[in-house]
Amino acid sequence: MPTWNTLGSRRLLLGVLSVATVFAAYVWVTNLPDNNPALLPPIRDIVTSFFTNLTDGNLITALGASLFRIGMGFLIGTTLALVLGCLIGWYQTMEYIFDPLIEAVRPIPPLAYIPIIIIWFGIGEFSRVLIITIACFMVCVVNVIAGMKNVPQVYVDAASTMGATRFQVFRTVAVPAATPFIITGYRIALAAAWTTLVASELLAAQNGLGFLLQEGRRYFLTDQVMMIIIIIGACAFIMDRIFRKIQARLMQWSEARE
Amino acid sequence: MPEIIVDHLTHTFGKGTPDALTVLDDINLTFESGSFNAIVGTSGCGKSTLLKMMAGLFDPSDGRMTLDGDVIRGTDRRRGMVFQQDAVFPWMTVAKNISYGPRLRGAGRAEQREIEAKWTEMVGLKGFEDRWPRELSGGMRKRVDIGRVYANDPDVLLMDEPFGALDAQTKERMQSDLLAAWAQSRKTVVFVTHDLEEAIFLADRIVVMSARPGRIRHIEQVSLPRPRTDEMRLTDEFIQVKRRLWEMLDH
Ligand SMILES: Nc1ncnc2c1ncn2[C@@H]1O[C@H](COP(=O)(O)OP(=O)(O)OP(=O)(O)O)[C@@H](O)[C@H]1O
Ligand SMILES: [Mg+2]
Repeated sequence: MPTWNTLGSRRLLLGVLSVATVFAAYVWVTNLPDNNPALLPPIRDIVTSFFTNLTDGNLITALGASLFRIGMGFLIGTTLALVLGCLIGWYQTMEYIFDPLIEAVRPIPPLAYIPIIIIWFGIGEFSRVLIITIACFMVCVVNVIAGMKNVPQVYVDAASTMGATRFQVFRTVAVPAATPFIITGYRIALAAAWTTLVASELLAAQNGLGFLLQEGRRYFLTDQVMMIIIIIGACAFIMDRIFRKIQARLMQWSEARE
Repeated sequence: MPEIIVDHLTHTFGKGTPDALTVLDDINLTFESGSFNAIVGTSGCGKSTLLKMMAGLFDPSDGRMTLDGDVIRGTDRRRGMVFQQDAVFPWMTVAKNISYGPRLRGAGRAEQREIEAKWTEMVGLKGFEDRWPRELSGGMRKRVDIGRVYANDPDVLLMDEPFGALDAQTKERMQSDLLAAWAQSRKTVVFVTHDLEEAIFLADRIVVMSARPGRIRHIEQVSLPRPRTDEMRLTDEFIQVKRRLWEMLDH
């Protein structure tokens, strides 16, 4: 009795049920006599496509290429965002200099840069990483700045009255107090990285998950398209989970941790 | 030893704007070195504002304050402050909070440990060294706050209603503990409260303020002997002082 009502088990049960229902519905629909497998490929075909692409190395190559792009773009973008965001959020002069620029650029969706980047740098690896970097930077920097701006004044005052210099307050108070915002920024950046990755590979790439998607569309390999979609979903999910673990570790001190 | 002089101090928030608000008007005070002073007054009379200016968190619009003859400008570890709000850093354990000040000045690991042990013990938090502040009660967090300021060893201790949110019993215990710690170090203390009994129990001298704008209405010398004991709260002298002060406050 009590176990049913504990949040954990009820959540798990309902979660499994909901996924299983959708899965069962898909299986049922694809087994109807008049189902068109070119539109809704049966599970069997999707699994087969997975193994063919796995054994001939296509999938691994694509996954490697995509993860590399995401990794680079995410790392460079968020690192820049962290450094610049801290400076802008903490030092007023920096804010006065950079804030108008960021505010001007912020509403532009990162994908809108693709044409100009292609004109300037061609359709090579550099351009793809650059687009992801921009996307990660933009969503992350806004959060880092917000975090710095929301540092409670009383902590700053407490540190100052204990003799902390402005830089020491920054290092020992502002940065830790802003970590919840910063981590959120990183997580949103990760999601943005996946979005822009696929978009940039759809447009111009000879490999990568987006390329396999594009190839699947061109040759009507719907099972391959479905398979890649699932792979992307799984990768993004796993990465987000890893992030939550890191978050839980860094945020041990916070009441609001998950 | 540190003596604080507040000299013709006036403060107006938003000076020169339509909604300028004069919070403190011509305050003159001397806090003798090693003395325990209380400031009482109704809510909004400018007690926190005065204390923050003494800490150096912002400058008065007029007049000045000196510590041992040096004009107070900006914050300094010599003037420690316990804030009205909870100021314990939630991202540091109890021990790390306590040794924060010494760590700022590059205290080594061993020295930090020694300070942590000494002050967690002094504020009655032995055994809670490795806890996060979120795991403590409000009263325990206030103890961390006080221990942290003490561990930083300032000359002057500015305390802004540190026990304001505590229940009567905890409050009385913490008042006694505070006096015990003060007796050892004899720092100059300025203690803001709106609890008259607390002021009388703790202080040598009580500054009564009136509100809007904040002015000094009266200064009361408390002649109760030290060390102070809880029984004194019920003596005639104590109650007489309390009545006199009560009549003086804005009601
Ligand atoms: N930063 C500020 N800007 C404008 N007005 C302020 C500011 N800080 C305080 N005030 C005003 O100054 C007055 C005095 O505030 P203060 O916090 O010093 O009162 P207090 O005596 O500490 O009251 P309490 O006992 O409630 O803590 C209040 O009317 C308040 O609204
Ligand atoms: Mg106050």
